[in-house]
Amino acid sequence: MKPFEFHRAINSDDVFKHISTTSKYIAGGTNLLDLMKKHIHEPNTIIDLNSALSNTIEQKNDGIFLGAMTTNTKVTENTIVNKNFPLVSKAILAGASPQIRNMATTSGNLLQRTRCPYFYDTNIPCNKRKSNSGCGALNGHQRMAGIVGTSQNCVAVHPSDFCVALAALDAEVFITKTDSTTEKIPFKDFHRLPENNPEKDNNLSDNAIITGVFIPNNNFGNTVSYVKIRERDSYAFALVSVAAALEIKDDKIKKVRLASGGVAHKPWRWFEAEKFLKNKKASRDNFIKAAELIVSKTKPLPNNTFKVTLLKGAVETALMQCLTNTSNG
Amino acid sequence: MFEILKNKGRIEGIAKVTGKAKYSAEYALPNLAHGVIVGSTIPSGFITNINIEEAKQVPGVIDVLSYWNKPEVSTFDNPEKSKKIPAFHKYFHTTKINYSDQPVALVLADTLEDASYAATLLKIDYKTEDFNVNFHESLKDLELKPFKAERGNLEAWQNADYISENEYTIAMEVHNPMEMHATIAHWTAENKLSLYDKSQGVNGVQWNLGRFFDLPEENITVNSEFVGGGFGSGLMTWFNTVAASLGAKLIERPVKVGLTRPQMFTMVGYRPTSWQKVKIGANKDEKLLGVLHHAAHNQSKYNVYSRDLSGITSKVYAFENVKRFTGYSPLNLPIPTWMRGPGDSSGTFAVESAIDELCYKMNADPVDIRLNNIAPYSMDSGKPWSTHYLNECLERGAKEIGWDDRPNQPKQLKDGDWYTGYGVGVGLWNASRRNAGASIEMKRDGNIIVRTAMTDIGTGTGQAIVNMTHEFLGIPREKISIELGNSIHPKSVTQGGSWGLSSLSGAVDAASTALKRKLADYAWGKSEVTKLDAVILSDSGVAFINDQKKSVSYQDIFQKYNLNEIYVEEYSNAGGEEEKYAFCSSAAHFYKVKVNVVTGKVKMDRMVIVVDGGKIINPQAAANQIIGAAVGGVGMAMREKQEVDLASGRLIGSDFAGYHVTVNADVPIIEVSFINKPDYNRNPAGAKGLGEVGLLGSAPAITNAIYNAIGKRFTNLPVTPDMIV
Repeated sequence: MKPFEFHRAINSDDVFKHISTTSKYIAGGTNLLDLMKKHIHEPNTIIDLNSALSNTIEQKNDGIFLGAMTTNTKVTENTIVNKNFPLVSKAILAGASPQIRNMATTSGNLLQRTRCPYFYDTNIPCNKRKSNSGCGALNGHQRMAGIVGTSQNCVAVHPSDFCVALAALDAEVFITKTDSTTEKIPFKDFHRLPENNPEKDNNLSDNAIITGVFIPNNNFGNTVSYVKIRERDSYAFALVSVAAALEIKDDKIKKVRLASGGVAHKPWRWFEAEKFLKNKKASRDNFIKAAELIVSKTKPLPNNTFKVTLLKGAVETALMQCLTNTSNG
Repeated sequence: MFEILKNKGRIEGIAKVTGKAKYSAEYALPNLAHGVIVGSTIPSGFITNINIEEAKQVPGVIDVLSYWNKPEVSTFDNPEKSKKIPAFHKYFHTTKINYSDQPVALVLADTLEDASYAATLLKIDYKTEDFNVNFHESLKDLELKPFKAERGNLEAWQNADYISENEYTIAMEVHNPMEMHATIAHWTAENKLSLYDKSQGVNGVQWNLGRFFDLPEENITVNSEFVGGGFGSGLMTWFNTVAASLGAKLIERPVKVGLTRPQMFTMVGYRPTSWQKVKIGANKDEKLLGVLHHAAHNQSKYNVYSRDLSGITSKVYAFENVKRFTGYSPLNLPIPTWMRGPGDSSGTFAVESAIDELCYKMNADPVDIRLNNIAPYSMDSGKPWSTHYLNECLERGAKEIGWDDRPNQPKQLKDGDWYTGYGVGVGLWNASRRNAGASIEMKRDGNIIVRTAMTDIGTGTGQAIVNMTHEFLGIPREKISIELGNSIHPKSVTQGGSWGLSSLSGAVDAASTALKRKLADYAWGKSEVTKLDAVILSDSGVAFINDQKKSVSYQDIFQKYNLNEIYVEEYSNAGGEEEKYAFCSSAAHFYKVKVNVVTGKVKMDRMVIVVDGGKIINPQAAANQIIGAAVGGVGMAMREKQEVDLASGRLIGSDFAGYHVTVNADVPIIEVSFINKPDYNRNPAGAKGLGEVGLLGSAPAITNAIYNAIGKRFTNLPVTPDMIV
């Protein structure tokens, strides 16, 4: 890889002192090092955030705050997370491998790049890697490509499982800017669609860092599920995944959340299906109808129409599993 | 003769798990330089220029080796000798590009970091030409040729009561051993080359490099003491070895060249993409009558590998009529090579699937039809099997999996969205034996060192040598040490093809006998002892089995004859037994799967494998071989698939994240057992090689089980979740 300077920042001010157009942050490094070895990112400076930002999990009155540097493993082992936000653990544990989860962090997870194979070969065109170079996947292999919100410029998907749960749970991303101002971005607005500038994965500005993620309290309890369809049972990205959460009262669905990974450039919420299920009976029939509604909104590419069928099955299975999990939990 | 040996771990186990075992890339030579191979970015054409100026600006860069500055090698002055060098050793002697990532340069620097960074700064100009990387498209123009003599004829079974016919494809698969190929090349003197090389056979490397540099073999030493897996990727001598040697010559320093994981996909072979069409027929009495087998796989334009997929078709079952056609498509892709169960594992998938399909048509039991049709002798050679216990493998496997619970028709066992199914597949492989050498050196204290050039690629060869030597001589295991995988030791065949242990047992036996002879002669005088079987070595001396009074201590012998050590060296090979018998190992795979028809998930519920590998020398290592191979079969059936981008001709997602090797989470505890009956016709240990039979028959057992679960017949591998729903 290209030689670089390494700076271990001690606080956020120190981070900002060192950022430049050729710097990159490092947290767990589980994606950045791959990107550097493949010459996709060639930063001149690497700023280590591990000593600069919080790695604690704080319970608040209205929810839970995950510090930017909390590792995936730490989050999944936290008793409050497991008690009040089991969907988060389920999603994280469906991703990567134990070794990677030991290193990967909360904020790093949000900022990981796509795993579209065309992005990773610098000898093949990719608009996300190099503006206006073309999209190799548009007429190529599309197993890892999207089925909603794709554009002619990019069909890549966001790879995270964790983020799918965060999107489902209406989390907020906490941000600090160089001028020391802070900001909260609703999770559904954090990542973006590729449109005409796929090189941009999210709406985080250049002069900002993520300090943590807040998840508001909910009444879903154990009536949650994360279904991930993938080609092997560990260390494989989703073909499609579904996070589902139900709040059921008097035999009716009072609240529902449905989100997916592996389908879009961002963790995707299925708002219409949520609306459809609200106040309906939690029955397989209704779940199937919701799944049908969801897939009616998809626009698969010529070589990944199979994802529509898988998605339908995953939605149905995830909603059914919510009922099983609640009775087991 | 042998007693079953208790599990003793492995002699090299502690070194491996504590990091003390040195693999090829781990030797620290003074003044070592690092070489990084740069591959072409086009699949076809010519390199017209390489601009190295920017790369040379990187501090630490020593030179860039390519077509334009390769060192003089006398071989290439001699057209006859030059012609014998294979094209894939001549990448720095041509400007022609035949596949994407074909090596075009070697960047040499003081550190790996400098070399790999500078490698990104080469400016390479190409003249591109049309290319073809589409195997299935290429089949349209491919003319298949008859393979081997026809047995019987097609007409004989054209009116068979039952016929099944199908086409089968298997995707390109890549070996992906844990250790990536690496070479350290060091010219220790003018015309003397020392190599540390990841290889399955040091003598092959020695021979190949001797041919390349026009040097006698003794001028080249090759060390592959520890090898982190091979699966066939280390059978050939690849370009990394040639490039490191040329680089070291160019800059007159030792050079290390290690492949990156993506380079492991393009530079050390793979199992080619294949297509097959199989038609089989049977009569009402469940007798298999005939088989018509068409098969083809891709080659590289460099065209050095071809393997007939239908070789197995005439071996396992007593088809009286066999007709085969074969073909190869040369494409602009890297060179394929042998990969575990080469050819036969692909052919076995088709034949075992076809038989399963036939069983449903004729309402026959897949175990019964196999039992009733096993070839009673080798129908290829006409010779009797020396030993062959596939029937026992099938009977025991059926019992262990609970075959009686298997429904005769699909979709019978349902639990919610999950369906359960059972499948069987068998594997068979020639149990061959080749040349091998071993030496034994005994010291005054009775400690011995057994040496051989044969490698241990992770199969447990080293411990097997200890076990065999202990059995042959009687010396306690703790007094036996081994040295292997180095060309300074007695020459041996490459480890592979399930022949390693079988070959080596002959050499170890011969060396053990020679040592006994020498010790007996020293102890009691020449010609005193005629039957060496009655001589046994203890920890302290040599004795007769039934007469302790006659024992003589090693100390006395060494003192009396003023010896420093006793050395014997012997070589062995297959002999007259091959005139009399045919040899094979076999396995029966019985798998139970659960299939979710809504999510497409296939869960391996149970895997029961029963193996005939003759006498088992090291049960732990043998089971480990079968488990690893079966996991490879699960990969072949369910996830391994290297994609090629048709637009660029490049491999897509060629790394550990993009190419899915099966992991522990994908398989249950695999239940392996052995028939464990010796075949002393084969070799003195009675062992038959079993490295391949754990894979052969594994993939079709899975697809057959999926059919039994959900009634869908899968003929294209791998079967991914999208194909299930």
